[in-house]
Amino acid sequence: MSASDVVEITGVVKRFGDFTAIHDASLTVRKGEVHAIVGENGAGKSTLMNILYGLLHRDAGEVKLFQESVNFSGPAEAIAAGVGMVHQHFKLAPTFTVADNIILGSEPMRSLGRLDRERAIRETGEISKRYGLDLDPRAIISSLAVGLRQRVEILKALYREAQVLILDEPTAVLTPQETRELFATIRTLAENGHSIIFITHKLREVLAVSDRISVMRQGRIVATLDNKDVTAQEIASLMVGRTVLLRVNKSKAKASDEALLRVDGLTARGERGETAVDDLSLTVRSGEIVGLAGVQGNGQDELVECIAGLRRQVSGTIDICGRRAAADPRANRAAGLAYIPADRGGVGLSLDSAIWENLTVGHVEEFGRGPMLAIRAARQRAGSLIQSFDIRGAELDKRAGSLSGGNQQKVQVARELTRDARLVLAEQPSQGVDIGAIESIHRILVEMRDAGRAVFVISADLDEIFSLSDRILVIYRGRIVADLLTEETDAETVGRYMGGLDEPAPPDQHKPDTGSGDEASAHVR
Amino acid sequence: MSAEAAVPTGGHFSLAGLVKPLLQPLIAVAIAVVVGGLLVLSLGENPFEIYWLLISGSLVGWPNFLVTLQMMSPLLFTGLAVAISFRAGLWNIGAEGQMIIGALFAGIAGFAVDLPTFLHIPFCLAAAFLGGLLWALIPAVLRVWLNVNEIVVCLMMNPIALLFSGYVSTHLLKAPGPTNKLPDIAETAVLPTFSLYSQVNAGFIIGLALCLLFAAINGWTKKGFEWKIMGLAPRFAYYGGIKVPLHAVVVMMISGGIAGLGGAEQVLGEYRAFYDNFSPGYGFDGIAVAMLANFNPIGVVLAAFLFGALNGGSAVLQMMTGLSKYLVQVLQFIIVLILAAQFTWGWLRSRKNAITAQEDRLEPETEES
Amino acid sequence: MDSDIAFSAVRISTPLIFAAMGGLLTYQAGMLNIALDGFMIVAAFAAIAVAYVTGSLGIALLAGVFFSVVMAALLALFNLRFRAHIFIAGIAVTFLAYGLTALLLKGLLGEDGVFSANTIPTFSTIEIPLIKDIPWIGRVLSGHTILVYLAYLSVPVVAWFLYRTRWGLRVRVVGEAEDAALAAGVNVERIKLQTMLLSGVFCGLAGAYLSLGYVSLFANKMTNERGLIALAAIFFAKGAPFPTALVALLFGTATALSVRLPQMTGAAPQLLQLIPYVVTVLALVVVGIRNARSRSRHGAWRFDVQ
Repeated sequence: MSASDVVEITGVVKRFGDFTAIHDASLTVRKGEVHAIVGENGAGKSTLMNILYGLLHRDAGEVKLFQESVNFSGPAEAIAAGVGMVHQHFKLAPTFTVADNIILGSEPMRSLGRLDRERAIRETGEISKRYGLDLDPRAIISSLAVGLRQRVEILKALYREAQVLILDEPTAVLTPQETRELFATIRTLAENGHSIIFITHKLREVLAVSDRISVMRQGRIVATLDNKDVTAQEIASLMVGRTVLLRVNKSKAKASDEALLRVDGLTARGERGETAVDDLSLTVRSGEIVGLAGVQGNGQDELVECIAGLRRQVSGTIDICGRRAAADPRANRAAGLAYIPADRGGVGLSLDSAIWENLTVGHVEEFGRGPMLAIRAARQRAGSLIQSFDIRGAELDKRAGSLSGGNQQKVQVARELTRDARLVLAEQPSQGVDIGAIESIHRILVEMRDAGRAVFVISADLDEIFSLSDRILVIYRGRIVADLLTEETDAETVGRYMGGLDEPAPPDQHKPDTGSGDEASAHVR
Repeated sequence: MSAEAAVPTGGHFSLAGLVKPLLQPLIAVAIAVVVGGLLVLSLGENPFEIYWLLISGSLVGWPNFLVTLQMMSPLLFTGLAVAISFRAGLWNIGAEGQMIIGALFAGIAGFAVDLPTFLHIPFCLAAAFLGGLLWALIPAVLRVWLNVNEIVVCLMMNPIALLFSGYVSTHLLKAPGPTNKLPDIAETAVLPTFSLYSQVNAGFIIGLALCLLFAAINGWTKKGFEWKIMGLAPRFAYYGGIKVPLHAVVVMMISGGIAGLGGAEQVLGEYRAFYDNFSPGYGFDGIAVAMLANFNPIGVVLAAFLFGALNGGSAVLQMMTGLSKYLVQVLQFIIVLILAAQFTWGWLRSRKNAITAQEDRLEPETEES
Repeated sequence: MDSDIAFSAVRISTPLIFAAMGGLLTYQAGMLNIALDGFMIVAAFAAIAVAYVTGSLGIALLAGVFFSVVMAALLALFNLRFRAHIFIAGIAVTFLAYGLTALLLKGLLGEDGVFSANTIPTFSTIEIPLIKDIPWIGRVLSGHTILVYLAYLSVPVVAWFLYRTRWGLRVRVVGEAEDAALAAGVNVERIKLQTMLLSGVFCGLAGAYLSLGYVSLFANKMTNERGLIALAAIFFAKGAPFPTALVALLFGTATALSVRLPQMTGAAPQLLQLIPYVVTVLALVVVGIRNARSRSRHGAWRFDVQ
């Protein structure tokens, strides 16, 4: 190890129960460098950084900071050791001033426990100027634009004299203009001797700002490369390269002309009031599986919530099986929607309720005998679903929360797909699910298609999209940017669309793409 | 597939199924009894004697037992009212106010209207139900439409009910005489009593019947099923097609109405007039009853019986020892405190589940990139 | 206004202001403490019992504060450590306190319902030089006992701590954005515990004032929902110390009037006593409407309250 290495991670392993999130990851970060960590969703980037920042504890391996082995029990220790992290979701107090937010936790003091506000304002003003981050220390956070709030987060870390700064998906919420300014800041910081770890999955950004690039895939660091030696194609190939092949035996789709889901000119806002879905249109027909690929946070959640009736759109229409959908799950389900949500604990299941109850919600009318509920019949059906969907460890009266992730997913799938619904909306169907269960869930979705239903799969996992879909749509910044037939495309092409690489009018300089997608895929396989 | 491999569907009536729901309440009661016993000991009394006095004073002998039933009557209503709302995820802690308004309405309907008995009693009960319902409607509507915390509103509605009914019974409609009360209700509105020994009256039967009715509704109807799901997971319920906001208002109204009926039981059965400040806090005791019952209507009957017996026995305590009847209140709310805590029951679930639950929380967050 | 009424409004508001300052600290730290009445009643009992036994007001005051803090610690234990719902735990603590004091009243002092004794010392009144000579104002502001002055002085002190010190900044951030405080390395649990215990201190003073200063007796449930009125003031003023104290003073004045007006006019005291609660419900409606307006119609469906 060289003296200029400020962070040295060796052989780190992190498990969540039976699931290993990080396998034997090793990484070094030098002083004054911008080190990008790229990878698909779920590749383990954030998990690895949360270990470095003390939010998670590693199960094996070593982390060295400034040549010294460390084992943080919490962020406070990491902060003290010179590590700062800017989370994807800002952690700021909205009605407080910029200065208050920056000094919180390491406040300058006067006698009697008093805050030294003047010093706080002076010092925060000084560091914001030093790094070219123009911010009024007296401004109230809630009045600031997102890009400026991010600067506050960065200043928070710098105020604590962070030498290593982790930025988790910093551009996800930024406009192109703000992104350019952020990159300038990052370069300034690096020139001042700070080390920046920059988590992203946007290839163009990686090439624009980083010195070195580490690619993560399925919990491993598969390569660390110098920016000057690498092309976007090569990174894309490394990101999506396969170790586990998921293949579903399926015949060619026999899509009919009947559109069971028709979204037209849909615009919807996200939780912060931003336009998350932007005049989006799409169609899913009977007898086909359509996959929606995209980096998380590009409007998928809002699109799905609108279709499910859990969010009211700003404009545009949604038709489910020919009926106009409303912001009412009950009506949309009656129209013929079956929806498998990604948020099992919050939306798709009641973890504290019995499994038979979880299997009965949404089927209450079927078991209605006037005002009564035919509980015996409902339990019998639940019992047979547990068998036919092979939900392991399930008993009728056990809590749904006692099941493993995969079996919880099967409960959702069993409940939703046994409804008399012709449109199936499956959101991240294999998230947190073991391989065996993934296969059976995929098989069921294909059966649904063959039975003439329309299946719409939203997944951040390209493997899943490719193994399931007949047609692939790519969503980027709330719009559908590509509509591709699966057999005519490949992961690299889709990956480039997901990263916004094929979008016109690039907001920053980047290397020209060399070679076509076909060459790149040949390079991997 | 063979019958042996079949998933057990009949777990319903197994022994474990009967014992398990009783375990938590029994542990809480046991802890309260021990803590209360230490308290009694520290006051220089023999806890065993005191507890025996409580039990014999409430259960031994027909008169004592009837007093217990009388003390239990209001708790059946307020306990059921709180249990119904808590089970559906609505924290109606306003049963006290709803009961007072129900009592006020029943008291007015009892003296101001002239009807034959077979109409007058139902009329008074309906008035009481309506009164409690209207009082609960305010927090319900604020909760559903304006997202205002129903607990805070209920908290304020309780003294408003007390002061408002006080204004009515001491000024607007005050009966002549020194007592702050409404005029006596007509004979036609009196709920019949069963015995000379206590004021236990037909209201007790009504309360019991309501508990059985809601046990049936909870256990066998679509509504009961939906209320339970919505209480545990409102977003899931809504996603599954349950009209959560509408049900929330309905549940609060029913809850308030039942609390109001509790007021009617007091006025029509026990006092035969609305008296200012008549309630020693039955609405709050209802919270204790509902918590101990784990929101189950049959459990409400058992818990109301327990607290009714303790209250009945406590009168003897007051007369025969140096202790006050408030020992019972102490026991009641120790039980609530223990049942409110999440820690106690961790060991009942397997440790493994606890770990999975923890990861479920962590995993999406850390993998969200 | 009659200076007598104003004088008694200042007195009547004293426990409200103490309790409001206590409740305000937990409110600022993001916890709605509805057990103020419970803390107060315990303090009122402990104070008068100790004053009766020792004859010392100082020790009595300390005892009141101590036992109130013990109740606060109990609530904090169940809420922070055992994750009990703060409202349910708060109600349980309050009624536990009502029951316990009534039980001990009989068990320790041998009285049912009410206790008083001639031997219990009283606080002497303090005349404020200069101010006492101002017409009207002198008669209103001067001639109170030490606890009354302490209550009003505690308002600027609480404000100073909340807005001028590091601790205050942390309390307010914990209340507004717990995750921001956590990420900045603030010990959130400790801050919450501290505000809860301070809540106990203030309610201890309020309770001791009730049984030793305002009157010289103890009665079951003698706090008479003062904790709830204090809570109403906090709600109405959104937890800012000076406005909260002002609202508490107004509510106290309404109570003072409700004692005096009926004697003079025959009006119903209940109607004036209703004011704090009705005003609070109306304030909640206004806030609710305002929030409903600013909330996006296009947000994800939710059914939880803040």
